[in-house]
Amino acid sequence: MKKKTNIKLYFLALLPFLIVVFLYEILPLLMMILSSFRSEVDKSILFTLDNYITAFTRLAYQRAIINSLKVTGISAFFGIVIGFIGAQAFHNSTGKIKNVFLTILNMVSNFAGVPLAFAYMIILGNSGVIIQFAKTYGLTALANFDLYTSTGLNLMYIYFQIPLATLLLVPAFYGIRQEWKEANLLLNGNGFTFWTKVGIPVLLPSIFGTLSVLFANALAAYATAYALLMNNYSLLAINITGMFTGDMTTRPHLGAALSVVMMLLMLAAILINNFINRQTSKWRWR
Amino acid sequence: MKPKIWSTLIIIIIIIYLLTPLVATATYSMFQKWTDIVPEGFTLKHYGDLLSNQAFMRSLGRTILVCIIPILITVTITLLALFVVTVYFPKLEKYVQILCMIPYTIQGVILSVSILSLYSGSRSFLGIRQVMLFGAYCIIILPYIYQGIRNSMHSINMPMLIEAAEMLGSSKLEAFIRIIVPNIISGITVSSLLAVGIIFGDYVIIRNITGSSFQNVQIFLFLAMKRSSTEASAVFVIIMLTTFLITALVLYVQSRDNRQKTESKGR
Amino acid sequence: MSYIVFENVNKYFGTNHVLQDINLEVEKGQLVTLLGPSGCGKSTLLRCLAGLELVSSGKVYLDGKDITDDSARNRGIGMVFQQYSLFPNLSVFQNVAYGLKQKKMPKAQIEKKVKQILALVGLEEKINQYPSQLSGGQQQRVALARAIVTEPKVLLLDEPLSAIDALLRRNLQIEIRRIQKELNITTIFVTHDQDEAMVLSDMIHLFNEGFIEQSGTVTELYARPRTKFAATFIGNYTILPAADFSRACGETLTCQDVAIRPEIVRLSYTPNLDQDRFHLQGVITNSIFHGNIIRYNILCGDISINADVVYESGMPYINGETVFLAIKKEEIIEL
Repeated sequence: MKKKTNIKLYFLALLPFLIVVFLYEILPLLMMILSSFRSEVDKSILFTLDNYITAFTRLAYQRAIINSLKVTGISAFFGIVIGFIGAQAFHNSTGKIKNVFLTILNMVSNFAGVPLAFAYMIILGNSGVIIQFAKTYGLTALANFDLYTSTGLNLMYIYFQIPLATLLLVPAFYGIRQEWKEANLLLNGNGFTFWTKVGIPVLLPSIFGTLSVLFANALAAYATAYALLMNNYSLLAINITGMFTGDMTTRPHLGAALSVVMMLLMLAAILINNFINRQTSKWRWR
Repeated sequence: MKPKIWSTLIIIIIIIYLLTPLVATATYSMFQKWTDIVPEGFTLKHYGDLLSNQAFMRSLGRTILVCIIPILITVTITLLALFVVTVYFPKLEKYVQILCMIPYTIQGVILSVSILSLYSGSRSFLGIRQVMLFGAYCIIILPYIYQGIRNSMHSINMPMLIEAAEMLGSSKLEAFIRIIVPNIISGITVSSLLAVGIIFGDYVIIRNITGSSFQNVQIFLFLAMKRSSTEASAVFVIIMLTTFLITALVLYVQSRDNRQKTESKGR
Repeated sequence: MSYIVFENVNKYFGTNHVLQDINLEVEKGQLVTLLGPSGCGKSTLLRCLAGLELVSSGKVYLDGKDITDDSARNRGIGMVFQQYSLFPNLSVFQNVAYGLKQKKMPKAQIEKKVKQILALVGLEEKINQYPSQLSGGQQQRVALARAIVTEPKVLLLDEPLSAIDALLRRNLQIEIRRIQKELNITTIFVTHDQDEAMVLSDMIHLFNEGFIEQSGTVTELYARPRTKFAATFIGNYTILPAADFSRACGETLTCQDVAIRPEIVRLSYTPNLDQDRFHLQGVITNSIFHGNIIRYNILCGDISINADVVYESGMPYINGETVFLAIKKEEIIEL
């Protein structure tokens, strides 16, 4: 008898968590998904695929999806390559510079959004510091650089991916044993054979894990792009926000459909990563 | 020897690349004019103006407020939930984990618009913009707080410590408060500081939910950018200094923790 | 009634029947060992006595009182866990004082008792250190001090030495036995290590898959295992089907299996013809030095028997040599 009341009491301690999660995570998400199937024109229709059809066929939304995937893909690619090189350099070096590098990476990893866009405007904007130099010294190619384009956007996205990618890959390199390198040398291998045959395969799960984080990070980024280009550039995150809070008429159901598309993209990135992890778990220990 | 020089070179190049926008903007904020290689007219006037600007100070205060309250709420509810789940309902642990990791897939944009469209029409307290904002922040930091607390709970063998305390006459809850919480406090501190970093850097959630009626420093910066780049550059520097301070605290607590761990391992 | 009584205790984890109708009694002041392989239920029984697990059915009595449904904190039982059970945020003093503070003992008295008990386990000088500053052996001594300082009715030790290296383990075993005798505290010790059980115990209860396979004193268990499992788990018995053994020695045995302790096998180059012994002939296939004894493995037809011989002077037997075996009939255990 006494035990029963105790169990209830313990459940009470779980309650605050469940309430907050229900009110601000589950319910909004659920309503969002339901709302994505409601019609934007006829309030009485509770289930239609119109919003999804619009999202995938109307050129403006197609472009938003494609642009989002493009900037995400490009920034994730450059992020992972430079991050890999950076993490490898970290792995190979010794002494104080390691700590300095790690501290700077940690500091800069929080540098994104509005401040990042602003800093890029200061250095590469129309009257930016570097642009001014270029003009003064006649470097026309640089002087004509236009930050307010997709190239500028890519540049900023790559910037915020690099510290993140490096920080996520640094621990993975601890998994590369010195003994393996020595064994490779004894078996007549060189640096190239080591990295192609052993190093990268061993790091592969971490590389994909990092890619999945970079993907999510870029896809959901809003402030960086909005601060630079406002509503003049079509991206999923910007379009979705516009449909709920825009100055013109809001289109919440279409926005909900686009949100669901974005969540599915995120989910896909995570699932692919999990799949690869399972594939490689055969030869991984721990 | 050769790969080491290359590595150092690569690290230096990456550091320069990463610091250029920061250093340039910070320099810009302290000079009147910068059109040639060397900026001209050193001044701290931008900072003086900013610190005497009531609107800015208010936005700074608001930012601190919206950091502290959601973090306190999330840490408390997650601690309670994880305690109850690990000790009494271990089978539920999986589900709590899923609930805590979902926000990671939703992220700020979708979370904010879904909360907004659900509650903005409500007449009850749920419809109050600030309440919605706190709710959204609680959820967005949940994955980080959850992982921090769970990892530190796993590193101390919580069930055994609680049993040991019970054998000495404590109740489970008492054991949790007197033994477990003090042992995971640095894990909680680190994840709370990470959460401060996230909320401090948030633009999209607060913009979508409260708009410019309830500005934080990020929105203040966004609006200042449109007015004057010198004013904005001073705001920028203050934001970045605060962010770095938070990161430095995180690194400090972590390194102190690691030192203690390696010390005990070495014996 | 005995001091501790388990009466028809059953315990299920889901559909897994981990304790099957256990009846067990422990006398006051004894040190009793629950011995068995991992997963045999010995720790679960201990935890049922501690109150950390509740029995599915049956009764548990302590000092004449039914404690089946009491919570762990009210049973007045002290317990030492495997390792790392010291509170890492508290100093040695605070750890040991924890239970006394729970009992609301006055400060001065707590200090006196803690110092006394730390002297007993030989750690007075570590009083202000933290668990992470102590070695594994020292940590377990503090854990022992923490468990006994409250003067519990029973002390439970759940494989407390399993994570400690061999040499230190032997010292701690002797020390635990000394302290137990000095305080005359009823103690139940759980272990999977037969040597440890033999060093420490007044009584051993051998567990196997939720049952008590055999109970008895150390010598009873060692010299008279009653089942095949007991013979395999304790000592280094060679266990053979009786039919195979009969064929090899030419005499008929009626039981199913025989168990032969290696130290009762005599080896010689010439046959020994005593009537009270079994006689076999075989070839040495392997010999291993174990310090002062040599263990030979001898192939007698199609069976293989181990024999321990104390190494004295002279040449030991060589692999491939033919030897005669003589085994005292009364020492052979029929299973």
